[in-house]
Amino acid sequence: MLGYYLRLALLSFRRNPGLTALMVVAIGVGIGVCVVSLTVFHTMSGNPIWWKSDRLFAVTMDSWDANIPADPERPQLPPDQLTYRDATYLHRSGIPQRSVIMYRSGGVVSVPGGADPRPRPATARVTTRDFFAMFEVPFKYGGTWNTAADESLEPVIVLTDPMNQKLFGGENSVGRTLRWNDREFRVIGVTAPWEARPRYYDLNNGHFDPPEDVFIPWGAAIALDLDSAGSTNCWKSEDLSTREAFLNSECVWIQMWVELPDAESRARMQSYMDAYWAQQRAGGRFPRPRNNRLTNVDQWLVDQRVVSNDNRVLVGLAFAFLAVCLINTVGLLLAKFLNAAPIAGIRRALGASRRALFAQHFIEVGVVAAAGALLGLGLGALGLYAVRILYTSENPNRAGYEALGHFDVVSILWAAALAVIAAVAAGLYPAWRIGRVEPAVYLKNQ
Amino acid sequence: MNLNIRPVFSALLRNRTGAILVAMQIAIALAVLVNAVYIVKQRVDRIGRPTGMDVENIFAISSSGFAQGYDHRATLRDDLAYLRSVPGVVDAVATTSVPLSGGGNGSFLSPRPGGMHSGFTAQQGDGNYFEIDEHGLQTLGVRLIAGRNFRPDEIAPAPLSLAHTEFAPSVIITQAYARYLFPDGNPLGRTVYDYLSRPARIIGIIDHMHGAWPTVDHPDRVYFLPRMAYGPRATYLVRTEPGELNRVMAQVEQHMGTSNSDRVINWVRTLSSFKADTYMSDRNMGTFLVTVTSLLLAIASLGIFGLATFNVNTRTKQIGTRRAVGARRRDIVAYFMVENWLITTAGIVVGCAMALGVGYWLSHQYAMPRLDLYFLVGGVLGLWGLGLLAAWQPARRAATISPAVATRTV
Repeated sequence: MLGYYLRLALLSFRRNPGLTALMVVAIGVGIGVCVVSLTVFHTMSGNPIWWKSDRLFAVTMDSWDANIPADPERPQLPPDQLTYRDATYLHRSGIPQRSVIMYRSGGVVSVPGGADPRPRPATARVTTRDFFAMFEVPFKYGGTWNTAADESLEPVIVLTDPMNQKLFGGENSVGRTLRWNDREFRVIGVTAPWEARPRYYDLNNGHFDPPEDVFIPWGAAIALDLDSAGSTNCWKSEDLSTREAFLNSECVWIQMWVELPDAESRARMQSYMDAYWAQQRAGGRFPRPRNNRLTNVDQWLVDQRVVSNDNRVLVGLAFAFLAVCLINTVGLLLAKFLNAAPIAGIRRALGASRRALFAQHFIEVGVVAAAGALLGLGLGALGLYAVRILYTSENPNRAGYEALGHFDVVSILWAAALAVIAAVAAGLYPAWRIGRVEPAVYLKNQ
Repeated sequence: MNLNIRPVFSALLRNRTGAILVAMQIAIALAVLVNAVYIVKQRVDRIGRPTGMDVENIFAISSSGFAQGYDHRATLRDDLAYLRSVPGVVDAVATTSVPLSGGGNGSFLSPRPGGMHSGFTAQQGDGNYFEIDEHGLQTLGVRLIAGRNFRPDEIAPAPLSLAHTEFAPSVIITQAYARYLFPDGNPLGRTVYDYLSRPARIIGIIDHMHGAWPTVDHPDRVYFLPRMAYGPRATYLVRTEPGELNRVMAQVEQHMGTSNSDRVINWVRTLSSFKADTYMSDRNMGTFLVTVTSLLLAIASLGIFGLATFNVNTRTKQIGTRRAVGARRRDIVAYFMVENWLITTAGIVVGCAMALGVGYWLSHQYAMPRLDLYFLVGGVLGLWGLGLLAAWQPARRAATISPAVATRTV
């Protein structure tokens, strides 16, 4: 029966090729636009480490001015980074399974005697040894540093895969030395290709920027006074003229994350923070109401406004557009079916049930929707390519934005789901309507 | 011409479905069109705001000193001497950050001493400063409207340790910032205070300039400090003669890449490219909206066209009959145009309500400005026109149907 209905559908297409093409185009364009906006939205709103949602937390404390909140638009939120003194104190709590404090830095790297000894600028993430385990960064060669390197100057360094390609041609460089800001460091690890989209662990400099080029242990960075190249925010009228003064200041510039495997450890960490807050407040700090937070990744992405309002508006627009395309298709289908109503009338007179007529016409709609979905996928791929071009920047550190326009399995699933929705939404009424034709009218007329 | 609406209307009521479908499309199209155009207009206005600078003829070059023996002061001196000597260069300056780039330094000024407790409330984006020397204003292309430029002897050398060690004795500020600090009178010669209550005199006022963060509420609250920027990073702005930008950029990159082995060049980029990056999301939003809205209007027009064609086809015999009993061609055209106009108008009425609803929802939910009603009027007129245009061809075709059709069966 299905084969027969498909043949009838094909015949029907041949009867009105223009109208059929118009329907396929309407559905295809509608699906294409939706695929583009949903894929971009999906990439933006994705939680790249969703399987750790119940154990990975950003640590923040409201250390800001008594009268002016860190973000005047959203006074309930603490600043998104910590001061040096708070971060280093909380990092020593020993409660979390893993704890990471970090900031973005920059410098100049070179390999004297290497294939290309020219010094080149590079970005660095200054962090503690658990970074890789916590954020599930895989290693290609070697591994992370030991605990001592978090505390004192040990000149070791971990390279990302692209940096290792540039400096050592991609070979196992563990044990080799390089110069960072004209000081010798030994390579102890090379990470495998890895990227977090969005860059949830530090959203300060572009939500989709690629990872920094190298990882430098906390102890070395502090000992060598490696400056932050990330975001530094200060509110207090205080002296900042020396490194010492800056480290002791109320300026926030450090990100902190902890891994707390169960409710008990979460509660302990929270009370640890609250106790520290109370003790510091007694000493004259923390003029604002208590607002110490452990925020999971999902909430963090919301708080940091990774998905822009523009994107939400665009998704709404895409669905409004799809709606117009489908309404259009309903109209065209109705016209087409009713045009061929005499044929349906004869089939009814010859004994076809209403249900059979409905099935026949619905299958016809299904074929149109499937063709529309294929066209939509093609248009979607084209649209995403255009998105990549639109997001191209001259700034190499913003290269990650182009990743928004990646065609992936999700896009295909969306197209398929939308095709089903399109078929049901557009085909149900016309197919039902044609099933209700009165055969007598058409027999008489003929 | 006699536009007889009654019969058209009652015919419509007997054949509702197709008409309702087209009216729905018109309604959604109007709601989308009006709001999309309104949003696009805001974005275009935002991107097109004057920056106060000669953006097209400025590029920036950034270097990082890294060697143990790197001499920041000597590097600045040599680089600036070189840059100012290159043919085609109008002027060059070393500064802290690049205007319009989204990254910069901010520190608020207060008209009273007392820092944060001066009772003066600073807001986000207030007090974006650039450290420059006497070549700064000329390099940026900003216009001094009162007071004077920095003198060479006022410029403090680059700090050897951390920045912010000393506040400057004199500042040049934008008119917008000056008015904000001193709403009550002439700001020239007045004293401002930094976060540690250190005083400085306003010696010059410039007309207008966008600072490092064009997307904040007040991007034009900018001031200049007479100081060479702290190392080991050096950022230079270079302004060239019109048409010389690319040539000079290439020449400078080549020279500075090798002139000093104690530092590396981080990047060389035009100011226009920074501006483009900063407004990337506004630009892309505009592009998306224009594209999708155009497609939507095209699809809706096809819908109107399709329905009108269908109506003409199914009524061939009736049209022939009408022609046979005396209707003129233009009566037939009028009939279809009126029918279409009725459908379009019904859609527009619903669409107006939807447009206002969407506009309200956008302003409420996403803090976008309230929809301007002029845009609604424009959208209504536009869709009326579009509806008539899409129905024109089918109506004309209907008019060509011969009266003889009436005498045939089927």
